[in-house]
Amino acid sequence: MTFIPGLGIAKGMALTLRRFFAPKATIQYPETRPDIAVRFRGRLQLLYDELGNIKCETCFQCAQACPVECIDMGGHDTKSRFYTHWGPAETYAERREESALRRSGRPVPDRAFTHFEPVDLVAVEEILERRDYDPGKMLPILEEVQAAYGYLPIAAIKHISHVTGASYALVYGTATYYSHLSFERKARTVAVCRCTSCLLAGSGRIANAIGEGLGTKLGGGPADGVALEQLPAHVPGAASPLVTLDGQPQPDVTETSAAAWSRSLTRKTVA
Amino acid sequence: MTFAARTWGRMSLTARFTAILLPLAVLLAVGTVVGIVFILPPTMDFLGANLPLVRFAVAVVGILVLTIPTAFVLIYMELKVIARMNLRVGPNRIGPWGAAMSLVHGFKVLTKEDFAPTGADLTVFTLAPVVTFLASVMTLLVIPFAPGLFGQDLNIGVLYFFAMGGLSVLGLLMAGWASFNKYSLLGGLRSAAQIVSYEIPLTISVVGVIILAGTMSMNALVLKQSGSALDWFAFKQPLAVLIFFIAATAEANRTPFDMTEADSEIVAGFATEYSGMRFGFFFFAEYVNVFIVSALLVTLFFGGWTAPFDWPWPYNLNWLDASGIGILWLPIALAVLVIATDILGAAIWLLGGRSWSAPAAFGLGLLIAGAGVTAAAGLACFIAFDWVQGIFWFMAKTYVFVFTFVWMRGTLPRVRVDQLMGFAWKWLLPASLLNLFVTAAAVIILNQPATPR
Repeated sequence: MTFIPGLGIAKGMALTLRRFFAPKATIQYPETRPDIAVRFRGRLQLLYDELGNIKCETCFQCAQACPVECIDMGGHDTKSRFYTHWGPAETYAERREESALRRSGRPVPDRAFTHFEPVDLVAVEEILERRDYDPGKMLPILEEVQAAYGYLPIAAIKHISHVTGASYALVYGTATYYSHLSFERKARTVAVCRCTSCLLAGSGRIANAIGEGLGTKLGGGPADGVALEQLPAHVPGAASPLVTLDGQPQPDVTETSAAAWSRSLTRKTVA
Repeated sequence: MTFAARTWGRMSLTARFTAILLPLAVLLAVGTVVGIVFILPPTMDFLGANLPLVRFAVAVVGILVLTIPTAFVLIYMELKVIARMNLRVGPNRIGPWGAAMSLVHGFKVLTKEDFAPTGADLTVFTLAPVVTFLASVMTLLVIPFAPGLFGQDLNIGVLYFFAMGGLSVLGLLMAGWASFNKYSLLGGLRSAAQIVSYEIPLTISVVGVIILAGTMSMNALVLKQSGSALDWFAFKQPLAVLIFFIAATAEANRTPFDMTEADSEIVAGFATEYSGMRFGFFFFAEYVNVFIVSALLVTLFFGGWTAPFDWPWPYNLNWLDASGIGILWLPIALAVLVIATDILGAAIWLLGGRSWSAPAAFGLGLLIAGAGVTAAAGLACFIAFDWVQGIFWFMAKTYVFVFTFVWMRGTLPRVRVDQLMGFAWKWLLPASLLNLFVTAAAVIILNQPATPR
């Protein structure tokens, strides 16, 4: 590269002369209004209600609308559950595993990360394989995942998003829209009827057996996500002794099978 | 209550005005007659006997008045041109296209507090901007704007120009010294160092032209270049043009050599303690300086007021001469203006529909008709009078260079102060000396056969 004196000056002068005739960037504000998108709301700002609670329900719709997908969020939803949501994996490579802290292997005391417990994704992969990895079949995929795990693990949703190509916000929106889909591992309730006819039919012994199998006793609080309770009233038309699981009568449970049946509830939370 | 007061109380508003204005008008008429009969002839005799004095007074007043619109146009140009180069619009609220912005700047400066620091040498402090300004303005006296239109045709015009231009250093030093502020003093010394350094290549670069022309009179220099653009000294002295342009940029304190008042870096150099119109005069002088160095560049190297090509038409429109029948054209132009305004206004009002009120329609009519008549008169004058042509070409060329200065300010970054001085002494001075020697040698060699001993 030979040095020509004055070439840089000439280039600069040419540039400014071109700029002189170029269209101007100024918008004459009161006369000309800038063309603003209908959904534009200006600076992102979190609003608080009159009680000082943040109004954001972590619905993720803003993240879904964001054209550059730069929004992540964590917070309490309407049911006071705490969630953290991350944008698509490709937006921030280092966030693919949620945080550098987490990757460092040290214990993370932050409850924001408890939802990202890794789950065995074999069941999700099977479902996706069956559904041809089609984002258009998101609802059946999610329903089947919920059926397989009993709830929708965040890790599963992230995996679905990553594999199908649907944005996390989209999958999350679908999952939160339908009331029968849940992110929470539901506490299951086994209830034993203690009406006279059931007691005579042996419900007391069944309750003891179930309690033994679950590791708890009647009215003793849940164990391994399963609670043992007394049914408030006998379900009309049901045979005695009556045992229900989540309100559904379980006619197969007998005195002899009760212990094994209850252990099967705790061994896997998967229904 | 006196009679006069009672009468005054009974009079209507119109009558009161008449009562005041009528005696005044009578007095004025009597005064005019007395003046014409008794005072005018001796005055005219005196002025006729002292024509150089009259010429000087008129020239000085004319030049002082000329600086005001020049500075306003330059300030407006700087705002607008640099704004456009920054992809902005620039001033556009006051006046048409924001043209009154510089006027507003002037009034702003005038309304500011005129402040002098404690301990300042008040006499010198006050005189400094005056000296700076006058040193610039006085150089305008020798610049020929058009054939016959110059303050004085000095036979040492170029010398006078540089002598007067050098005076501005004195003003800057006075300002720095009198401010009672060590930073002002340093700023003043720095600008003095810069201007003195660049004065030398500036002056030496012109000597080549003087050798070629054999004269130092500005008017004669322009006449030497008359003809077409090919007769300009710029083509015989290209290196001198370059040196002169660079040195003149430093001399006028313009970017990239505006170290003396680098507004964005140092406070204000010598002008730190100045405010109000005293401060304004420094910048007034700077803007006038830009015009002056452009004018000098045009005069010395680009043919002054001569047209850039051989003007093919002779000046034979003597019917426009103001001393003869030409004065009749004034009422004719006025009548044309009135009639055209009426016709245009009526047309706009009738054809424009409901959106045009009568005053707006006739106002627009007046605007269009005025523009047309002015253009026609200007064209007629351009063809008829060589001095109108001269002013046109001179101003056109000068403003090309003024634009270049503004353009450079919009482009180039400031140089460091040591680079500034190094460039002047290590590059510009040797180059100007080289140019001088080459020119002198060429003149001697070329003149050898023509001047036998």
